[in-house]
Amino acid sequence: MELYSGICGSYPRPPELRKAIDRYEKGYITKEELNSVYLKSLRMIIEIQERAGLNIISSGLLMWDDLLRPFAKGLEGIKLDGLLRFFDNNFYYRVPVIVDKIRRKKPIVLSEAKNLAKHTTRLKKLVLPGPFTFIQLSRNEYYSSMRSLADDILDALVDEIKDLAKFIDFLQIDEPSLVDSEIPIDNRKEGVNLVNELVSRIDIPRDKIIVATYFHLDEQCYQILLNLKTGLHIDMISTPRKAFNALKEYGFKGDLISLGLVDSRNIKVENVEKIANKAYDILDEIHAKAVIFSTNTWLDYIPFENARSKVEVLGKLLQIMRGEVT
Amino acid sequence: MKYILPDKLPTTVVGSYPRFPEAKKALKLKKDRYSNKEIIEELIRSAIRRVVEDYLEAGIDIISDGEQRREDMAVFFAENIKGFKISGWVRVFDNVYYRKPIIAGRVKWTHEITVKDWKFASTISRGRPVKVTLTGPYTMYDWSYDEYYGDKKEAILDLANALRKEVEHLIATGAKYIQIDEPALSTHAEKEDIGIEKEALEIIFQGINAKRVVHICYGKLERLFPDILDFPVDQFDLEMKNSNFRLLSILKEYSYDKELGLGVIDVHNTRIESVDEIMKDIMKGLEIVPPEKLYVKPDCGLKRLPRDVALAKLKNMVIAAKKVREELQ
Repeated sequence: MELYSGICGSYPRPPELRKAIDRYEKGYITKEELNSVYLKSLRMIIEIQERAGLNIISSGLLMWDDLLRPFAKGLEGIKLDGLLRFFDNNFYYRVPVIVDKIRRKKPIVLSEAKNLAKHTTRLKKLVLPGPFTFIQLSRNEYYSSMRSLADDILDALVDEIKDLAKFIDFLQIDEPSLVDSEIPIDNRKEGVNLVNELVSRIDIPRDKIIVATYFHLDEQCYQILLNLKTGLHIDMISTPRKAFNALKEYGFKGDLISLGLVDSRNIKVENVEKIANKAYDILDEIHAKAVIFSTNTWLDYIPFENARSKVEVLGKLLQIMRGEVT
Repeated sequence: MKYILPDKLPTTVVGSYPRFPEAKKALKLKKDRYSNKEIIEELIRSAIRRVVEDYLEAGIDIISDGEQRREDMAVFFAENIKGFKISGWVRVFDNVYYRKPIIAGRVKWTHEITVKDWKFASTISRGRPVKVTLTGPYTMYDWSYDEYYGDKKEAILDLANALRKEVEHLIATGAKYIQIDEPALSTHAEKEDIGIEKEALEIIFQGINAKRVVHICYGKLERLFPDILDFPVDQFDLEMKNSNFRLLSILKEYSYDKELGLGVIDVHNTRIESVDEIMKDIMKGLEIVPPEKLYVKPDCGLKRLPRDVALAKLKNMVIAAKKVREELQ
């Protein structure tokens, strides 16, 4: 079994980047000046991940205002509306409103992938919003059928992935809506089909694609997720008992599973031995070719100052699981 | 001075108002422990005075102190209730961050938190009632890192007991409108949480002789119904405009009969709603409750808006309420 360790998605913005973004928005600094602070921040968070011993390095999504934003801003046919709460967090996303035909005229996160590749020699992971969650969290005021909307979003994502594939080793497709139990189950089954359709159209090996779900997991959700033809990330923290029972009941026979075992919504630093014990319990229930140890969700829900210790827990966890320390 | 509230469609606010420079300066000075406390107090009074002047200019019936003293709704109470510490900055949206509280010990009320500002606003409100807004126990818990309790219910009920003490002091001072802000309540799907909140509100409001209001916004509010309808409150103050009034059909379905605070102003958008538009929206609320039970107000606090936009929005809201009142005569 191959073992990896890497964060799920974002890293909190370093204070200097927060300030630079504010100053850029107020017109005090130029785009080039902002970009240089961004690159410095990117190098810093790559170094934090590398020093902690992670073997999958993420770009940290430092310039993303929310999961949908780069695409809501970068694709044609979408405008931004008011803020809505992002699932059960005290965090809000801007609702994309689809007002015209969706078209991708230019690459959206390609430069992020290139910058990541330039600054680390380890395995690289980039995040994209999944088509189902994108549709669920947007408001459609243009397309007369969901199918035609889905077709255009898939086209845009496929084109984006084709451009950036050569710069990354793992692609993470975020689909928290797949485990939102308030969305009717049949819709979520369709969502799984949509993701499968997406990955059938791209060249990245299936065992290098992780569909990320978070904030919830129960047996019913998990059964649906098992139809994904990709790797899977699950949140083992938010609904721990239900999540563990789901794994116990249905196991996992796919190629790649990412286990969100470190709580990125709480600053309390976990005891790594306890997490390792939990990980052993889980590994008893599943038969994956590769396992990634990860945070349950993005690190955006804790302060920058607390994120490093979470990353360090992930690094130590990998060492323990590989038997490098006792 | 006595102010007579309209018996139909009184206008009100949710709580916060754009922060005046005086308040910004006060918050800055507060971070330096050597600052002169009386200067800080004078700056805050001056900011509250300007808020109240704006409300009076707009013609709002039931006003607030504009929450000028509060860095934000969670941190302010965390700084004033024993048991809390404050962590670093956590993102709320875009590039906007707040300092997230940490519950590090048993939560306890030790001193008056909001009474001073309520009292000051009341002395300059020309008789208009001043509503007090308290961040609710559920939201305080949900927006903090819990490093002490590990048991949601126990923590929330302790928080409720702390707020109860504050409410008792407010009532003793003469407050007649108490609003508990619970924006986090609609973010969780667990039904048992609604039961915990009900218990918490019973602690806070039991035997209280004042208008008891709960404010909820920006989540899946529909998931709270019908369970919250037997909360021990007189009024639900709800965000409606931002979600295009989709909640109204649910209120109708459950024969809603409490007072309704109807959000008719989008506080996340600088577009100023026209009088006609607001009048139409008020009429939507009147399909649910009679005008005596309908309070006209923005979706949420106005703090994120530029002050001139906030004031313009309130002015149109007051004109619209007045016009609908005239039509009802």
